[in-house]
Amino acid sequence: MKPFQGIRLFQHLLADCLHCCRPHRSPSLVKRVGHMTALSSLRYKYLLSTVKPALSFNDWPRRYHQDFRALWGHETVRKYLETLKEEFQQVNQLLISGSMNEYDRSILSRRHTHLSTLVATLQEIKEAKREVQELEAMCADLDSKDEQQLLELALEEKEIINQKINTFWKKIFHSIVPWDKHDESNVILEVTTGRTTGGDICQQFTREVFEMYQNYAAYKRWTFEILNYTPNGYGGLHHATAYILGDCVYRYLKYEGGIHRVQRIPEFGLSSRMQRIHSGTMSVIVLPLPGETDFKVHPKDLQIDTFKAKGAGGQHVNSTDSAVRITHIPSGLAVECQQKRSQKLNKEIALQTLRTKLYQQVMEKDLSQMENARKLQLGTRDQSERIRTYNFCQDRVTDHRISYDVRNIKEFLCGQGELDKLINMLLEFADMEALIQHLENINSLEKER
Amino acid sequence: MRLLINSSCRQLLGLLNCCEGKGVSSAKWSVLNPHLLLLRQNFSAKVTAAELVRYWRGVFEANKIPEAQESSEYIVSYVLGAKTFHSLSAGSLFTPLTAEQQQQVRQLSAKRLQRMPVQYVLGEWDFGELTLKMRPPVFIPRPETEDLVSLVLQEESQRSVSPLLNVGHRCSTAVPHSVILEIGCGSGAIALSLLSKLPESQVIAVDKKEAAVNLTRENAERLQLQDRIRILHYDVSSGSWDKLLPWGPVDTIVSNPPYVFHGDMSHLAEEILSYEDLDALDGGNDGMRVIKKILALAPCVLKDNGSVFLEVDPRHTEMVENWLRSHPDLSLSVTATHKDFFGKLRFLHIQKHKAGDSSCKNGFACPNMHLP
Repeated sequence: MKPFQGIRLFQHLLADCLHCCRPHRSPSLVKRVGHMTALSSLRYKYLLSTVKPALSFNDWPRRYHQDFRALWGHETVRKYLETLKEEFQQVNQLLISGSMNEYDRSILSRRHTHLSTLVATLQEIKEAKREVQELEAMCADLDSKDEQQLLELALEEKEIINQKINTFWKKIFHSIVPWDKHDESNVILEVTTGRTTGGDICQQFTREVFEMYQNYAAYKRWTFEILNYTPNGYGGLHHATAYILGDCVYRYLKYEGGIHRVQRIPEFGLSSRMQRIHSGTMSVIVLPLPGETDFKVHPKDLQIDTFKAKGAGGQHVNSTDSAVRITHIPSGLAVECQQKRSQKLNKEIALQTLRTKLYQQVMEKDLSQMENARKLQLGTRDQSERIRTYNFCQDRVTDHRISYDVRNIKEFLCGQGELDKLINMLLEFADMEALIQHLENINSLEKER
Repeated sequence: MRLLINSSCRQLLGLLNCCEGKGVSSAKWSVLNPHLLLLRQNFSAKVTAAELVRYWRGVFEANKIPEAQESSEYIVSYVLGAKTFHSLSAGSLFTPLTAEQQQQVRQLSAKRLQRMPVQYVLGEWDFGELTLKMRPPVFIPRPETEDLVSLVLQEESQRSVSPLLNVGHRCSTAVPHSVILEIGCGSGAIALSLLSKLPESQVIAVDKKEAAVNLTRENAERLQLQDRIRILHYDVSSGSWDKLLPWGPVDTIVSNPPYVFHGDMSHLAEEILSYEDLDALDGGNDGMRVIKKILALAPCVLKDNGSVFLEVDPRHTEMVENWLRSHPDLSLSVTATHKDFFGKLRFLHIQKHKAGDSSCKNGFACPNMHLP
């Protein structure tokens, strides 16, 4: 499956919508122009767009094999774009009329910027389409041999414009896809070795995967800070945690969480009897780091332990022991940090880790939260929930969610282009899924009214 | 590997410790060398970071060197190009060290065996986010002082948000360029941390010791902060202060003055007594010798409502308050006290009243709040 097939399909459907939009004018929003109703519905939509619709990978194989045309065909997309265009006009008028308070105005103008780029892009697509039609008409007239060269030029130009249209559609697709509220967050990445049928392939594989993400972070110019690293003889890795800080880290890594399976012949440490293909697993957990404002920890609930300051402290003592241990008294949760020479920095890191863990606990307790990142990623540690298989014997990586194969394991584990390609593909499919659900939600809300 | 920890060796090394003076004694070297040879034989050419840390911890423990584990970890990590053992990558944990690296670890550990502080052994240490050069005898900044910097930064951020504090002057537009004076800059830790966090501010850093002035200058240049700092060789007890005002009166004075009571000096660890400049610690009989000098100077160089931030001994908080009350002519009073990491009263925030504010002259109307 080619990555942009979805986009092209999308383009096709939206193109239809542009041609026949006039008679389809949706009566729902525009007709009720009363300021209050319009404002409240806009406010509602603003809220809706910040909430991520539940997205379950369990549905993927089913969805994936469905005909996309059927998914796009139920008019939701077309209708949605139409309402967006109308909403733009409406927002425009509201902003001009100017009778509203500051809060509403700030929401409206944000919405206005968002919509205006969208409408502008739709307009550009319309113009590009017209150019293509003109070129086609011209080509139809060119048939004699003398005009052969001209024809080639025309076809070339047509191809360029088509590509341009493609990128426009992609832009629209990305701007109406609902964003996960954590997408821009930094993450905490945990790798843990899992079960195996033989040897130390799990530990070795865990190390390789951890290094893959370390390389990927470098590839994306993110900061990769190792928080703890528990090695396990023979250069294997039992467990490790790292912070990854940078631009939209959670967005790119959120679908890496889950069970990764490995199939290979152990390299050492086993008798010849065991020299056959074994399979094992390791798990990856990717959690968004809560921002300062997302989650507050009361200082009085914390017990901070550092080296035992003898007597007076201050100038009286010169200690190099900068390790910090913080215990959250109500929950008994404790974290330690000795990554830095500076005690203050160790304290800051420990506090951040603690906050993440507490935040995680709160999230887990919150049953109303339909989607629980950790649960989704970790599953029940059952091999059947693996997201990806690394088959060393066949030199192949398979992502089970989109049935995609990569041929060169070594290159894939370098954590550069190949991994990036797969991650982007996963994102595109997930975005598509999210968009459909988002639109379905809006649709059902409309019906309720 | 474990040879050194067996009792006979410990006795031997213990004996050595007793007769060892400061400096390299030739006797010590001649006895230590066989063990170094043993190390080489045991590990042949292959010794990993983890093994080396364990070995040197044993040597340090046998020699009763404090923080044996930490010292050993820091030295090995430093040679491998990392700041802490926990930040070493898995690769470097399991890769054998080269002969040169092992040699370097040996040289550094030999210094530590003579009770040299780890910060001087490595020649650098971290203060907050900065890595600073450390060189004996210039005072090594303590972790508590990182909080002193945070307090000043907090005050600066409040000042920039509310220019109303300066109602007296009508020039709220000129506020952001604050000028900070640090007295007793040592390695430059406080001054340079402030400069790195306050891109609009300027700092005058003074110290009475040439070695400290030079080290602060080197650190400023390493961190490329030399353009906003004026580093002066100046003694606060000299009495004149014209030198301190190249940019006019200052907004804030910050200092970690010597505050150890003279009577406590003999109880300090050997690392401090043998290597650090004791003038940077010894505060005289009441620990207030330099504190008083700073407070006497403060009204002359501070703007109205300017602040003094001091790191002190927990006993000093009350002593300073009383002393200021008995010196109303200084127009200074303690507005807040803050605790350090360990819950000890460690920091004083003192403010200057507006000149001619008679209500403060008698020393009764000054707010004396104790903030936890």
